[in-house]
Amino acid sequence: MENRSSQVPVTVLTGFLGAGKTTLLNRILTEQHGRRYAVIVNEFGEQGIDNDLVVDADEEVFEMNNGCICCTVRGDLIRILGGLMKRADQLDAIIVETTGLADPAPVAQTFFVDQDVADRTKLDAIVTVADAVHLSTQLGEHHEAEEQIAFADVVLLNKIDLVDQSQITGVKDRIRKINPYTKIIETNRCAAPLEEILGLNAFSLDRVLEVEPDFLDSDHDHEHDDDVTSFSFVSDTPLDLEKFEKWFGNLLQTHGQNILRSKGILDFKNEKDRYVFQGVHMLMDASPMGPWPEKSIRNSRVVFIGRKLETMNLKEGFESCKSD
Amino acid sequence: MNNESVIKSRFEENGKVFETGAPVTGAVSIENAVAVGFGDGSIRFFWPDNDPLEVQAHSGAILSIASSNDGVITGGQDGRFLKISTNAEVEEIYNFGTRWVDNVAAYESMVLCSSGKNVYIWSDENDKPKILEHQSTIGGIAIDQNGRRIAVSCYGGVTLWRLEKNKWKSSKFAWKGSHGKVGFSPDGKYLVTTMQENELHAWRIRDKASFAMSGYPSKVKSFTWAGDNPYLVTAGAKEAICWPFDGKEGPKGRKPLCIASGGQQNATFVESLPGEKAVFAGFRNGMVLLSELSEHPNDVLIQNPTGSEVSNISISPDRSHILVGDSKGQILWSPLWEQ
Repeated sequence: MENRSSQVPVTVLTGFLGAGKTTLLNRILTEQHGRRYAVIVNEFGEQGIDNDLVVDADEEVFEMNNGCICCTVRGDLIRILGGLMKRADQLDAIIVETTGLADPAPVAQTFFVDQDVADRTKLDAIVTVADAVHLSTQLGEHHEAEEQIAFADVVLLNKIDLVDQSQITGVKDRIRKINPYTKIIETNRCAAPLEEILGLNAFSLDRVLEVEPDFLDSDHDHEHDDDVTSFSFVSDTPLDLEKFEKWFGNLLQTHGQNILRSKGILDFKNEKDRYVFQGVHMLMDASPMGPWPEKSIRNSRVVFIGRKLETMNLKEGFESCKSD
Repeated sequence: MNNESVIKSRFEENGKVFETGAPVTGAVSIENAVAVGFGDGSIRFFWPDNDPLEVQAHSGAILSIASSNDGVITGGQDGRFLKISTNAEVEEIYNFGTRWVDNVAAYESMVLCSSGKNVYIWSDENDKPKILEHQSTIGGIAIDQNGRRIAVSCYGGVTLWRLEKNKWKSSKFAWKGSHGKVGFSPDGKYLVTTMQENELHAWRIRDKASFAMSGYPSKVKSFTWAGDNPYLVTAGAKEAICWPFDGKEGPKGRKPLCIASGGQQNATFVESLPGEKAVFAGFRNGMVLLSELSEHPNDVLIQNPTGSEVSNISISPDRSHILVGDSKGQILWSPLWEQ
C-alpha cells in the first residue's frame, strides 16, 4: 500500500440540476487560495467553472465480472483518476461533479474495487446539494434523488430563503428519515463554511466512530414500497462474532442490492477491540479499531439505509447475533 | 533509496541516472533514439552517444506515445495530438480542446489517435481525419503488422476494423467487461486485451474463439511478445507470466512459464530483449530483472529497488542501451553489454 498521506482526497458533488452544484464548485475554487484542484465535470455540466484543470467525463458505468451482481463502477473515473496521478504537479484535491440523475453507488464502489484508484486517491465525502423548494417533489419522483440523499455525508439544503420555517422542518425530516447519518447544512447560494464540505474523511472507518446518527423514533410509515428508509439497532449484550459474520454475510449476499449503505460499531464477546464496518451495497470495509476507550459505553450499533428494509428481518437477525 | 549496503548492478554502475521529477508515462524507439513521454508534458530523446534532448510539448501529462515515419506522435491531457521530430520541431496534428487524447498509433504515414469514443485516422491523401465511432470510451488501439487492420478496445470487447477497397469495415469481438490495452500477436492471428479485472482476454481472429488468462493478484498493466513461439509475456504477478501462443489452440489448457521470480512485489512493466529469448520485468518497488524464457531461468539484476513503480523499460533501436523509467521520474540509461 502507498503511504496514506499520498492519497489525494476526492469529493463527489451530487444534486439535481439547478440545485446549486456549480455555485458551490466555484466557491470552492475561488475561496481556497493557493490550493490546486482538478475538477471532473460531466458532459451535461453547467458552464462557467473557474479552474484551469477541468476534465470532461462521460459517467460510464461498468459492471464488474466479480460475481457481485450489484457491483458497478465508474469506468471514466478509473481512467481519469489514473491519468491525473500521472501528472507531475501535486493536486490538493479532486472534485467530481455528477449529473443530477447519477446514482452515487458506482462512484463510491469504484474506490472499493479498483486497487490503483484506492492506492492513490481516497473518497473524502459525498456532498449533495438539495434545493429546499423542490427536494420534496424530486424525492417522490426520482429514485436518483433518494439515492443522492441516502449516500450523502453532507446535505447542503440550499435556497432556504425561498421557503418558510415549516417547510424547512418538513424537508429536513424527510432527509433524516432517509439518512439519519447525514449532516444537514442550511444555506443560501451554497454559502456554507468550506471546512464542513471538504477534508471530511467521511469514508474512513475512524469517522464511523465519531458521527452519531440522529436516531428517529422507529416510525417507518411510508407511501411507496421503494422509498429509501433507514433502520438502526443497538445492543448492550455483546455479539457473537461467528453468528454475526454468518448473518451479515448472508444478508449482503441476498439483499445487497437494496442495502445502499451500512455502518456499524460492534462489541464482540471476548474481544477487547471495537470492530467498525461500513459498506456500499455488497462491498464492505471492516477492521478492528483498537480497544474500547475507558469510560465509554460498550455496545453495538448498526445502521442500514436502503429499500425494502422491512422485508429483511433485520431486527430479528441482529438480535440473533447476541452472545448467550 | 541511498542504502550504502546495496550492491549496485553492472547497469547501475555503468549507466547514468537522471532525476526528472515527472512520472514516466511511456516510451518508444525512433531512428536511433528512445523517446520518453513524461507527466509534465515533456519529451526527452535519449541517444547512445549524445546527451538527452528535452522538448516541452504538452501542458499536463502525456498519455500516449508512438513512433511514425518522421517523428514521435503524442496524445496529452491538454487535448493536443502532436508530432515531434528528433530535432525538437513540434507540429500540432489536431486539438481536441478539453478532451484528453488517450491513445495514439502510427503505421508508415498513417497516424491515428483516440479521444473519447472516437478513433481519428489521418492518411497522406487528405487533411481531414476519418472518424471511427465506438459505443464507449476507448481503452486502447493497435495497428497490425501490415497496416490493414486496427483493433480498438472499449467496454464490452474489441472492434476490429479492416481496410477493404478504401473503406474501414468493422467486426466485433465481444466479451463482457471493460477492456484496456489491446495488441495483435506477431503473426496477426490473435487479439489480446488487458481487463479491468485481474486478467487478460484473447481471441483467435479466424473464428473468434476466445479465452481468459487469469489468476493474477493485481491488474495486468503491461504485456509484450517474446521468443519464437511466441510467448505472451505479462505483468501483474510476482513473476513475469508467459503464455505459449504456438500450436492451434495457443495457451488454452496449458500452463504458463513463470520467470523473473526474484522480485518481492508485483510486476508492473515487461519488455522483451529483441533477438534473444529473454525478458525484462520491472516491479512495483522499482526493481528490474532480466530473465530467460525457459523452465529454469537465470535472472540478472538490472536495477535495485528505487521505491517507485517501474513504468517503462525500453531498448534502444541498435540494442546498445536500456532505459528504465519509474513513476517518480527516475531514468536509468545504461549500456546493455559489457564494454
